[in-house]
Amino acid sequence: MTPPAIPANRPRRLLPRSLADRLGWFGAIIVGFLILMAVFAPRLAPYDPSERVARPFLPPSSEHLLGTNDVGQDLLSELIFGARVSLTVGIVAAVVAMLIGTTVGVIAGYYPKRLGSVLMRFVDVVLILPFLPLLIVLAAYLGRSLTNTIIVIGVLIWAAPARIIRSQVLSLRSREYVLASRSMGAKDRWVILRHILPRTGLLATGSFVRAISGAILLEAALSFLGLGDPIQKSWGSILFWAQSRGAFLTPAWKWWVLPPGLAIMAASLGFALIAFAVEERINPKL
Amino acid sequence: MKRLDLSKLGQYVIVIIVAVTLNFALPRLMPGNPLALIAGVDVGLLTAEERAQIIEDVGLNEPILNQYADYWVSIATGDLGQSYRSGRPIKDIIAERLPWTLLLAGGALIISSFFGIILGAISAWRRGGKADVPLLTGMIALQSLPSFWLGMLLISVFAVNLGLLPSFGAISPAANYEGWEYFKDVLEHAILPIVTLSVLSTPGVYLTMRYSMLEVLGEDFIRTARAKGASERRVLFGHVTRNAIAPVVTFLAIRFAFSFGGAVIIETVFSYPGLGRLVFEAVSGRDFPVMQASFLVFTAAVLIANLIADLLYPILDPRTRAA
Repeated sequence: MTPPAIPANRPRRLLPRSLADRLGWFGAIIVGFLILMAVFAPRLAPYDPSERVARPFLPPSSEHLLGTNDVGQDLLSELIFGARVSLTVGIVAAVVAMLIGTTVGVIAGYYPKRLGSVLMRFVDVVLILPFLPLLIVLAAYLGRSLTNTIIVIGVLIWAAPARIIRSQVLSLRSREYVLASRSMGAKDRWVILRHILPRTGLLATGSFVRAISGAILLEAALSFLGLGDPIQKSWGSILFWAQSRGAFLTPAWKWWVLPPGLAIMAASLGFALIAFAVEERINPKL
Repeated sequence: MKRLDLSKLGQYVIVIIVAVTLNFALPRLMPGNPLALIAGVDVGLLTAEERAQIIEDVGLNEPILNQYADYWVSIATGDLGQSYRSGRPIKDIIAERLPWTLLLAGGALIISSFFGIILGAISAWRRGGKADVPLLTGMIALQSLPSFWLGMLLISVFAVNLGLLPSFGAISPAANYEGWEYFKDVLEHAILPIVTLSVLSTPGVYLTMRYSMLEVLGEDFIRTARAKGASERRVLFGHVTRNAIAPVVTFLAIRFAFSFGGAVIIETVFSYPGLGRLVFEAVSGRDFPVMQASFLVFTAAVLIANLIADLLYPILDPRTRAA
């Protein structure tokens, strides 16, 4: 078997492996639970979240465990259905980011001379631009829809994964088996698909999961600023309405503000812990 | 001292060009009438002549390259255009708002670097120990905390339930405090936003410090220092911390600029009249000229911070100075 793609001068681990693994499993349990909640939302939710099912601003009761919002929709149902929006946006935006990031990273790493250095210049520019303001400006221009949110987040967070993948490819391309393959006349396409991409897989997985964690937070922030999809409410949108109706100035903060925030944090943290465990396992010197 | 790295400067120039070009191109590429996006007027309410007049004024009838050149000239001369909501020059609005954001970002910088550096050093020094594991996991958890949510909770608890601090604004309206009273008033309003921003920033400082310390601890000169009999305290402060601090300071400078971005969200929660809140107002009022100008200011802030970091690094870490 070929040795795993880890540079020789690996730094010490951040934590003993067992602890990192345990944190990773803990994250996986949280994520698994949230995904189940999103998949079975129609069965779990007591009401249709878009229907006005009771009087507005009701405190929690046995019929409405988390009360109702400003137009009389059931907050618990909104929370459960919100998982669908928040997780979908997070995951799909991360897929978009990884598609761009992997493509740029592999090309820049495999052709490091002219093409690669131009691409990395571009990556550096993207990394330096003020991230959140740019995100908001783009979202404001494109308009409020789920697809736009995904695109805006995806095209802004690919640069960090691109950089990580590039440095890996850079070290892979001078390995002996790659050189051997090329000296036997293998085309670039073949070398990249057969030798380079498979060995960036684990690294890309770490970046991917971390990107999901970040994208979930970004989606929440955008929706909180009123730039989310107006029809499909995410956890961030619930908080946007709680904010604009002043829920945090009343006792309603306990059932209207607290739960969606906890959900956002749980989702982002769950993916972050998985990413942490994966990265600890590879830990290449970047 | 090392002379400024020219390729770095070149990169900053590229960033400025990209930011300005984005600003120029975005409203012209978007579907719909660019007039509404550039001049910020409600096109539907205008007569044909008025429309033609505005197109003339804004220069939309000129060739696109001329418009682009004009855009550069106006930015270079500090003319950021006018707000469509208030009709005031954007330059003045930004000058009014900027100090408040600087106050928040500066306060948060001091607090987060204090806690981040100390906790990071403790964590790395006793790596895997009793303090390290909960600190590290806690900081990772903090990174997943939505800042606006934290702000809302702080308002609910400290402003509403306990009534200790004000919940919005930067000063008490119509109070006309002076001297010490004014200072106290400003401070009371700034505490909760600064705390929120600090919580947002601390994990990054902590992780950078911890990692930087761990790198230094693995170096040969640390073993040498111990071998020659230096006390633990001397090793920690004289050798490890001194060598670990440079990347952290770089990080802090850049973090400071990113706090500006974070301020968009935090100032919105606290209705704090800074630059961030201005962006939010511009977005919800579809005041595109203000939005664009703010984006340029944020870009400038990031570049200045990076420049400061580049200048500080060789001072803090003499090894990187060119001979």
